[in-house]
Amino acid sequence: MATIGVEHVYKVFGEDPEQAFPLMEQGKGKAEIQEETGLVVGVQDVSFRMESGALFVIMGLSGSGKSTLLRCINRLIDPTRGRVYLEFDGERIDVTSLNKSELREVREQKISMIFQHFALFPYRTVVDNVAFPLEIQGVDKATRREKGMEILKLVGLDAWAESYPPKLSGGMQQRVGLARALASEAELLLMDEPFSALDPLIRMHMQAELLNLRDRVRRTILFISHDLDEALKLGDRIAIMEAGRIVQLGTPEEIIVNPKTEYVANFVEHADATGVLTVTAVAKQVEVTKEPPKGLGISRMDPQPAAFAEGDGLVICLDADGKPIAAYQDEVAMDFKYVTDDLTTVGDETVLLAEHDTTLKELMRARLATSKNPVIALKEDGGLDGIITGQEILLGVLEKGRKEEAE
Amino acid sequence: MKRDRRNSRTFPWGRPAAAFVCLLIGASLLAAVLCGPAWAQQHGVSLFEQIGTQGSLIPAEDWIDQAIDWIALTFADFFDVVRSVINNINRGLLAALMRLPVWGISIGGKAVAIPILGLLMVPYLWWASTKWTGIYGFVSLWLIANLGLWEATMETLSLTLTAALIALAIGIPTGILSGKSDIVEAVVRPILDFMQTLPVFVYLIPAVILFGLGAAPGVVATVIFAIPPAVRLTSLGIRGVPKELVEAGEAFGCNYWQLLFKVQLPMARPSIMAGVNQTIMLSLSMVVIAALIGSGGLGGEVVRSIQRMLVGKGFVAGLAVVFIAIILDRATRSVGEKKM
Repeated sequence: MATIGVEHVYKVFGEDPEQAFPLMEQGKGKAEIQEETGLVVGVQDVSFRMESGALFVIMGLSGSGKSTLLRCINRLIDPTRGRVYLEFDGERIDVTSLNKSELREVREQKISMIFQHFALFPYRTVVDNVAFPLEIQGVDKATRREKGMEILKLVGLDAWAESYPPKLSGGMQQRVGLARALASEAELLLMDEPFSALDPLIRMHMQAELLNLRDRVRRTILFISHDLDEALKLGDRIAIMEAGRIVQLGTPEEIIVNPKTEYVANFVEHADATGVLTVTAVAKQVEVTKEPPKGLGISRMDPQPAAFAEGDGLVICLDADGKPIAAYQDEVAMDFKYVTDDLTTVGDETVLLAEHDTTLKELMRARLATSKNPVIALKEDGGLDGIITGQEILLGVLEKGRKEEAE
Repeated sequence: MKRDRRNSRTFPWGRPAAAFVCLLIGASLLAAVLCGPAWAQQHGVSLFEQIGTQGSLIPAEDWIDQAIDWIALTFADFFDVVRSVINNINRGLLAALMRLPVWGISIGGKAVAIPILGLLMVPYLWWASTKWTGIYGFVSLWLIANLGLWEATMETLSLTLTAALIALAIGIPTGILSGKSDIVEAVVRPILDFMQTLPVFVYLIPAVILFGLGAAPGVVATVIFAIPPAVRLTSLGIRGVPKELVEAGEAFGCNYWQLLFKVQLPMARPSIMAGVNQTIMLSLSMVVIAALIGSGGLGGEVVRSIQRMLVGKGFVAGLAVVFIAIILDRATRSVGEKKM
């Protein structure tokens, strides 16, 4: 698979971009530099490396430099300084050092792009639009038509092959854009705010379709968005840009739980965290003791518990590895059910077990269907992490998992 | 990127400086108007009489005369080649047009002419415009044939098409270059302004000196007159292609020519076709004027009528020009919007 790496990339717009560098070294901001020299700093010292096969989201408001950064990668805009490289199964291409015809070859075969306003050719039919990259590659007409139809089927638009793009709705047009980008067989996909011009409902639908499509066609995707909810939903990792720089880079959960700057915190404030936060972020730690709590007859138990934890009226018995084996509430033994189990027939005497990567949304849904008993949160190795009551869930929703600050 | 530069170019001193210059010019004009006559009276001179008696300070007329004479002598061979190329194209077109017969049938003892060209026009005009335009095309050509103006009309038509072909062959590539490059645009634009605003009669004179009499000087003058819209509208069309579409072409690896032929020209087609239409219409109007230097055709009929005060003959020839103009316009106007 393929990856993209970016090292200390700068883009300064204007007559004499070098003028801006001493000012940047003095720590002057984008606005100051523009005031002094008339130069616009688009991207300032950005470095990151994508995971192969990942969906990496660059998020920022308009003017934050995210589109410029994206265009530096296939050099629709030439970076002023820095290096951009692509890696394909060990083969490394330094994009910034390519000459014109080498660059053209990379664009033709290695990297394709999807645009905010679709950028379809209105004088070509849908299938001819999809086959455009193949036409540039010099594929013969019959083959590229066949291939075009195949890919149109993938996005569910084969019935529209002979229509012209302006006849299609926005969502359909962007599916054509997606199909065209897939047609080139490039393993790297650059997506420049592809869903921003769509209605909210269509946008959600397209996001789901992208995730679905991603499982079927293996691509490494660099995705630009100005919408944190979209970024959280799609991204394996997210880089947040402000005034040309990356201010935070991390997994969705890291960003929600631990926003590094006020700028990021402002975004997070308004984002829906329940689909991102996992039980690990909200679980309340409980004390583990070797002594059995009073009134609990452990002599009849098999196997014998090695330790006990207690919280919110729930007594949890653990084995030697720290894994829960039984739980009692008011001295009544409870059933264990995993959040992912079928929960249609459970009664009040049930305690839910949530694995470490269960999201709050999943947990809330499971709890709604069953009891209001505390939930046992597990670590990655299956050991006891803590317990979660309604209060922890509310804190998670309101405070995005920042427990320490909330208390 | 070329466009980036334009965005960031700022002239912080631009506006106050411009205001200051305007103020200066305004003040001097005011002073001249108010004080000028008084000053002249006081010194006992009339400014304009003085210039009249001494000849103008800048004898540009003489310079241009000398320059044209020099050019005519030095590049005589070149102008000969151009003349014979133009004459050959024109003669070939005219021969082709005249080869299409005009049938004569006798109705009630009178000879009625039926032009085959008129019949051939119908399906094309129908496709390019409406069926009514097709019918109009036939009727107007039938009228022209039966007004006895067939030959003159075909001469005008072949001159027009010759000039338009040459103008487009020069204009569209120039327009493409000027659409793709800011430098070419900056050079070409003032030249086009010059070509369009110089009174058309003025360049008929050097045309005669350089190309002799006959069709060639008229065609050259017509080409100069008809090129600007082809250049301007082609350039406009290329520049008007949405940036994202050009980026899409580049992002999928188009080279210069692929970008031009697969993205920019198809997108610019309506604008370019509007330029083609304008060029043809301007060619027709100029070809009529070029009759003043003997290029013949319907314009020749008009000129002869002026010289002999023949109102009817002049008017009929003028009507034929209108008929042809409408046919040419409808034949090229909406072709740009059609899907091909």
